[in-house]
Amino acid sequence: MKVKVWGARGSVPAPGPEMIRYGGNTSCVQVTLDGGEELILDAGTGIRTLGLNLVNDPKVNILLTHLHLDHIQGLMFFPPCFQADSSITIWGPASPEASLEDRIARYISAPLSPVEVRELPCDVSFRDTPPSEWKIGTATIRAEAVTHRGPTLGYRITEGDTSLCYIPDHEPALGASLEDLDPEWISGFDLAREADLLIHDCQYADSEYGEHIGWGHSALGATVTFARRVEAKRLLLFHHDPLHDDEYLDGLGAAAVERFTQAGGDPGGISMAQEGGALAVTASGASPGTGATARTSAVAEVSTRG
Amino acid sequence: MANSQKPLELILARNLLTSISTPAFLLDENSHLVFYNESAGALLGISFEETGRMDPQEWTGSFGPFDTEGTPISLEDLDITQALRDRRPAHSRFHIRSAKGSEHGIEAAAFPIIASEEGASGAMIFFWPLDENGAGA
Repeated sequence: MKVKVWGARGSVPAPGPEMIRYGGNTSCVQVTLDGGEELILDAGTGIRTLGLNLVNDPKVNILLTHLHLDHIQGLMFFPPCFQADSSITIWGPASPEASLEDRIARYISAPLSPVEVRELPCDVSFRDTPPSEWKIGTATIRAEAVTHRGPTLGYRITEGDTSLCYIPDHEPALGASLEDLDPEWISGFDLAREADLLIHDCQYADSEYGEHIGWGHSALGATVTFARRVEAKRLLLFHHDPLHDDEYLDGLGAAAVERFTQAGGDPGGISMAQEGGALAVTASGASPGTGATARTSAVAEVSTRG
Repeated sequence: MANSQKPLELILARNLLTSISTPAFLLDENSHLVFYNESAGALLGISFEETGRMDPQEWTGSFGPFDTEGTPISLEDLDITQALRDRRPAHSRFHIRSAKGSEHGIEAAAFPIIASEEGASGAMIFFWPLDENGAGA
């Protein structure tokens, strides 16, 4: 499968000349399966540009982790929503309070929006993620609740023997020691276990985390520890804080490589998500735990800028 | 073999209990004792790290509950058990026995953890030791 990042920012869009390389758009990742199907992970503002690059009359599945604005704000500006021949299925967390459509309609409705969901000309449907795995095209999808503020999912997408795990908003270290806990007690563990690519929240530097405990996001140290505990083959750091400019994120990225290496990871197995960055995810071709060589070959970088 | 991953609501409950000084148990949907915190461990005379997960027969056999005469109370006869099955909170008084043999009168407040309409995920039980006059310590 191929992965392209259209928005790597968390919380709120952060455009500006000092944000050029990592980008200012909020969470959105395109996954193109080898079978040809298009999956879109979250609908932050990055989805607008993604939509402009899709072929006409697209058929897409959008997997929403949760309904915070930085993960749905781009929906209303997703060009296929306004194409009569496009088919869009939106998946998201279930709620006893209201249907997924009704909850999203709170945003796509007056006074926040000039259009209503029912006015969209496309063929759009809203579906709660099922409690067990399900299929989309050639992929098997699994969604599980993870530690964040409000009902939030992480996703695991498996196609053949290749797996991608996406947990953009996650605070597994809240009130827990990730180094010591048994795996069964770590939020997101099964979802991310031995994933060929783990895209994970890394909103804060460790020095910033003390001021943000309980906000639902991870600091670098926790992210690296989580990735090493689950034995992810490659880690892409995601959901950058809107206050972090390119220079800061360069420094955080360098620190990440150092921390990851100190924790026993391969220096080439970790990187910062950049808007426009693209990756081809492939299985290691080796059985789990066969070492660093298999890990480094798990993901081949196609380009760093789209 | 590793146990399967716990539901998020139990993970969050454990994280909460780890962070507070009120003695507390965490039970899963089958009444297995899947965690108790350090304060409960101090009361019981043994830490969770030492006991590990316990099935209902194990933990009731080890810690109680007992009545004032020291006679074991069946989990089935405990009023809070039925309340939790009915998805209601409950409050009760009984005795427990520590790993060192000492008995403590306690009052306990139990709260069901209900994640969805489909079923309960477990319960949190908080304990308050009673003094020799039966008042809250």
